[in-house]
Amino acid sequence: MISSSLIPCGQFKTSYAKDTTIFDTPVMRAWAVLSVLFLIAAPSFLNNYHLSILIQIGFMGIAALGLNILVGYTGQISLGHAGFFGFGAFASAWLNNSFGVPVVLAMPLAAVMTTVLGLLFGIPAGRLKGLYLAIATFASQFILEDFFARADWFSGGSSGAAAAPVNLFGYELSGDKGFFYVVLFWVVVMFLIGSNLLRTRDGRAFIAVRDHYLSAEVMGINLTKYRILSFGLSSFYAGLGGALYGHYLGFVSAEGFTILMSIEFLGMIIIGGLGSVAGTLMGTTFMVLLPEVMEGGVSIAKSLIGGDVSWLNEGLAYIKQASIGLAIILFLIFEPDGLIHRWRLGRSYWKLYPFSY
Amino acid sequence: MRNLLLASAAVTLVCTGTAQAADIAIGHLADLTGATASVSKPFAAGVADALNYINANGGVKGDKIAFETVDYSYQVPRAMAQYKKWTSESKLAAIQGWGTGDTEALVSSVAKDEIPYFSASYSGHLTDPQGKTSAKAAPYNFFYGPSYTDGCRGLVEWAAADWKKKGGKGQAKFVHMGDNHPYPNAPKDACGAYAKEKGFEILNPIQYSLKPGDFKAQCLSLKESGADYAYLANTSGSTISLLKSCETVGTKAQFMGNIWGMDEAGLKASGEAANGMTWVVAATTWADTTPGMTLVREISKLSDPSGKEERPSHYMRGICSAFYMKEAMDMATTMPGGVTGANIKAAMYKKSNWVPAGLEGVCLPSTWKADDHRGTTQVMVYQAAIKGEDVKMTKVYAAELPRRPEWLGW
Repeated sequence: MISSSLIPCGQFKTSYAKDTTIFDTPVMRAWAVLSVLFLIAAPSFLNNYHLSILIQIGFMGIAALGLNILVGYTGQISLGHAGFFGFGAFASAWLNNSFGVPVVLAMPLAAVMTTVLGLLFGIPAGRLKGLYLAIATFASQFILEDFFARADWFSGGSSGAAAAPVNLFGYELSGDKGFFYVVLFWVVVMFLIGSNLLRTRDGRAFIAVRDHYLSAEVMGINLTKYRILSFGLSSFYAGLGGALYGHYLGFVSAEGFTILMSIEFLGMIIIGGLGSVAGTLMGTTFMVLLPEVMEGGVSIAKSLIGGDVSWLNEGLAYIKQASIGLAIILFLIFEPDGLIHRWRLGRSYWKLYPFSY
Repeated sequence: MRNLLLASAAVTLVCTGTAQAADIAIGHLADLTGATASVSKPFAAGVADALNYINANGGVKGDKIAFETVDYSYQVPRAMAQYKKWTSESKLAAIQGWGTGDTEALVSSVAKDEIPYFSASYSGHLTDPQGKTSAKAAPYNFFYGPSYTDGCRGLVEWAAADWKKKGGKGQAKFVHMGDNHPYPNAPKDACGAYAKEKGFEILNPIQYSLKPGDFKAQCLSLKESGADYAYLANTSGSTISLLKSCETVGTKAQFMGNIWGMDEAGLKASGEAANGMTWVVAATTWADTTPGMTLVREISKLSDPSGKEERPSHYMRGICSAFYMKEAMDMATTMPGGVTGANIKAAMYKKSNWVPAGLEGVCLPSTWKADDHRGTTQVMVYQAAIKGEDVKMTKVYAAELPRRPEWLGW
């Protein structure tokens, strides 16, 4: 009795629809739905700290998925992702504060504004590749950072902008519990869009541009269009992530969106797995949890050694920072294909047990 | 398999990182490894040593203060996560915070959770607890010392007196120098307005990065602009580079630094380039012999038993910040409800012109009011005299600024 929950050992697909399906088996789909249901129930038994970590993973994950579409799928590079993330945060606060647009609407609108900006800053991508493109996007990072600090009318300049909490049908979703659902909604929507994007003509064009741009052009793919489109799309994700971040904190400051944050986004997708939607989420989880886990370690070490003495604090702080770096380096040495690869290996190990190769 | 194990290890670690069972739980954020570590380390050491000293000497009317110093590397999301962790584990009575980023990000959260936040960010708008003049009220934010703007205003007063003393002719020229960044920009407009009022001609601001580098270009602009007084709004690292570059270029402007812009270590590093520079100081220096320094030296021995380390002035400000909080907690013990955040806030308003017991001459007398969180408007201006290895700093001016209502939160 062969049930449809098993994957046949070979390619027996008879239609394109089967080939591009998101979930290979109904069991996998059931698992995905179950985990979303689990998350919906999560606020009833998790405390605010755990929820705030999940919220962070949520909005960072959305932005990182945007970068993965650009870097992992289209083969471009961006060192300015934090700039777009920040623009989304400011734009949403600005729409809400200056024009009274409700926050629920301001967030996607801010993402659209960021898209326009991304399309603009993506224009050099039509002509540049590799390191040259990296430097061009690097410029966009600095232009945006400077803009945030200068544009008083838009970002509040050096004093920053206040971002109102989400208000839905007169009910304020300001605490972690309320905001968790807002983030969860957008994570599910954006990750579904992300997965489905790659099953479309445009998604396949992105991959073709990445794999061999010359062949792609010969096949009739407009390289400039798809490269710039990819920038726009990734900016939409970044803008939405940023808007969620802004309304979660309740305050947006020009200080936070530095080049380091851009590099952290790159770290997330490289650790998670380039060109993988699920991997993006894993990489983000890893990067958000790592400092927290290390901090937990430091606090255990302190309680073992006893006392809160300043030399001990400083020593442990350095060990913590160094271990974060070390963990990332070890990861890249032992798992260069990302967490998603490890996940797939683990899954096939259990699936084939005890008859793995 | 392996990642399953890793994940479960991670979860255990995250879950077990809890504070010890607390009498009075407070949080302490510091930047020990990030961008502002050079000035945060002595400040954080001052806070931690002071709290340990309080615990070793009777605590808050017998109750100990349970705290944990957490390094957040000057990253706002980490400060946020840490805040949530603390607040979901126990009811915090107060937080000793650090810089611009974490303080601004937590303004509304601490107001909602009623947790007094004692920051080392002295932005003018934090002094407006009721949102009278600034866009956002900061009802639970306190800091010890003059705001950045008041510090700059104090320097402007000193500069006006200095110009008169030197017999300068005509209008003196004043320029603001700093990165285009929330922290250096905080006093820019308000201080410029006061300099104008005092008869200075205001030149276009000159921008120099918060990251140390070669600033000869900026020094050339400064030289060409003909500025007489230059206010340096950055932290000490980049200010040292600027002073060195300007020494090479040969500028004639008088440099004036803000409270985080210069310190004892900075003077040593700059050498003669910092000769004659003035800056804001809001507590005693290590060499002072005021009565309160006896207590400070006792506190310092907790992390330096030899007593040989010469602490920078930031350390003393850290102690002041912790002791004001402690005295407010003492007062809160007699209030209904005990030592809660709301009671500590109320206690902060009880006294006026007060100095924590034992720290006379170390902390400036301060007054907080329900509608005015400008603790002190007194600004001490110190000047460096450096010749070779010999570094001296002397107090040259003390400005007593008026509490103008329109200056609240600006």
